[in-house]
Amino acid sequence: MARSYDRALTVFSPDGHLFQVEYAIEAVRKGTCAVGVRGKNCVVLGVEKKSVLKLQDPRTVRKIVMLDDHVCMAFAGLSADARVLVNKARVECQSHRLTVEDPVSIEYITCYIASVQQKYTQSGGVRPFGISTLIMGFDANDKTPRLYQTDPSGIYYAWKIEIWLKASNYGDYFNKDGQELSSNTVREFLEKNYHDELSTDEAIKLTVRSLLEVVQTGAKNIEIAVMTLDAGIKNLEIDEVEGIVTEIEKEKEAEAEKKKKPSASTST
Amino acid sequence: MSGKNCVAIASDKRFGVKYLTISMEFPKMFQATDKTFIGISGLATDVQTLMERFRFKINMYRMNEERDFEPITLANMVSSTLYERRFSPYFVEPIVAGLDKNNNPYINGMDLIGCSTTACDFAATGTPEDQLYGTCEALWEPNLEPEELFETISQTIMSATNRDCVSGWGAVVHVITPERVITRTLKTRMD
Amino acid sequence: MECIFGFTGKDFVMTATDSTVAQSILIVKSTEDKSRALSKRILLLFAGESGDTVQFAEFIQRNVRLYEIRNGVELSTKSAATFTRRELADNLRSRKQYSVNLILAGYDLTTELPSLYQLDYLGSSVSAPFAAHGYAAHFLFSIFDRYHRPDLSLEEAKALMKMCVGELQRRFLVNLSHFTVKVVDKDGIREIAI
Repeated sequence: MARSYDRALTVFSPDGHLFQVEYAIEAVRKGTCAVGVRGKNCVVLGVEKKSVLKLQDPRTVRKIVMLDDHVCMAFAGLSADARVLVNKARVECQSHRLTVEDPVSIEYITCYIASVQQKYTQSGGVRPFGISTLIMGFDANDKTPRLYQTDPSGIYYAWKIEIWLKASNYGDYFNKDGQELSSNTVREFLEKNYHDELSTDEAIKLTVRSLLEVVQTGAKNIEIAVMTLDAGIKNLEIDEVEGIVTEIEKEKEAEAEKKKKPSASTST
Repeated sequence: MSGKNCVAIASDKRFGVKYLTISMEFPKMFQATDKTFIGISGLATDVQTLMERFRFKINMYRMNEERDFEPITLANMVSSTLYERRFSPYFVEPIVAGLDKNNNPYINGMDLIGCSTTACDFAATGTPEDQLYGTCEALWEPNLEPEELFETISQTIMSATNRDCVSGWGAVVHVITPERVITRTLKTRMD
Repeated sequence: MECIFGFTGKDFVMTATDSTVAQSILIVKSTEDKSRALSKRILLLFAGESGDTVQFAEFIQRNVRLYEIRNGVELSTKSAATFTRRELADNLRSRKQYSVNLILAGYDLTTELPSLYQLDYLGSSVSAPFAAHGYAAHFLFSIFDRYHRPDLSLEEAKALMKMCVGELQRRFLVNLSHFTVKVVDKDGIREIAI
């Protein structure tokens, strides 16, 4: 019965679902992982980067893009769809500056992106965007770092930290429970370790650490962008990420040692 | 101006507003294909816009058809582009000059809405049009060789522009022969 | 009555705009900046119908910036000039056209050369070693013809700029009290005193 409903684009199913939107969210789940962490004076975006072929130019494969001088966006899902959305957002950023002189506020551009995404769930002949976005930046004349998320249905939220996780491989795609589980582990980990006063370094570390939960191959598949009020947007170099990764590994080892020791002492 | 298996096209280099000269490096011709040139005289903004549009159309033609424009086809393209704007025309008068596939000279002059006339001898447009036709009439003769043609067209444009107070300030001449295009710049009176 | 002009030097472009805003016979403001930075090393000077000028300049500014963000590369001065020219030329045949005269001054890092473009409200664009719009053109072109050299040093350029401003203030009927002088070079755009 439901079959006949999901053929037409974005039409309600009898039980009130929009299958196309749900499928789009599924496409996001299949995409790579993205994490955003808001520190005291900074926001950090981290994404899992697909391995680049030897002859490919790594600069052309980007998952963190600039929307304006003060706004950055990361996305998960279909990169092709993202390009279109990014383009619309960039035009809006410049057009906003042109009409009111001020740069866009982060909430405004998030709201704009979300409303574009929403439009594509309610118009004829189109399909929803298969991407979720994380938008970070600073508002003009304001020191508070901002972090927002939008999803294919057109909802948006403000966040302290946000993560999405993909199913670790295509085999897991149907195994919904397993996927939720891994997503929850990282979310729990972040919730445990997050506090409002994170310094920039701590925020970067937290981002990398949570990414490492899903990225097995280490630094070369991690892309990090840090935004602070005075330094603007900065993409971390691969050696910097590598440095953080080794640091985290050392910490983990030390923790494991610690755990071992008390247990060892009790046993004796 | 046509010769024996060769054609020449020349323009001055002045760009000015009324009697104020702003630039002396503003040639009004561009190479359309290996053996064809388009020269456009008239309102500078339209000259530039049309050069851009023709360049675009010529490149598209080359890619779609995998061959270059024949001069006659090019002239028709130019003419229809101008006629598209029949009721708000570009204020220009172009000249198409080149050698066709049999290396026969082809010259075409047209008005601002694309009414074209093919000439077997010469065509002239621009502010010193009258003077140009007079000097052409006096100096030109059939079957000129490339070097003779260069001399003739150079004398023609210099004599004509020297009698016109809003053109001149240097000139460029292209002589198109089956083998190559000879480009020379002329020093003329700079006042 | 507005004066905008500029000339190239050895590795920079020097530009000047008068800073007066007038409505009819009344001077409304004398500290106006009649230029916008299109990118780090491209400066756009404008004169003409007030309202049109700023509107058009900022429109170009935003489009150039959009191009940079979209493509991750800076536009060359020539490309910016071609784009601006085309916008003006297309706009010319619209219902209400912009009446703006422009000068584009830029320094290209790839060629390491300064360049200067003069665009009028009709959309004609010429690349030139020196450019001037409005009544300034009548006074200054002769000075440039006599004293301008492509290899001017910054000090020589300042001296030339002083001559230009001096000439305008001595011989031009309209009193232009203050000029904003800017330099575009490899380090970007900066205002200087002369």
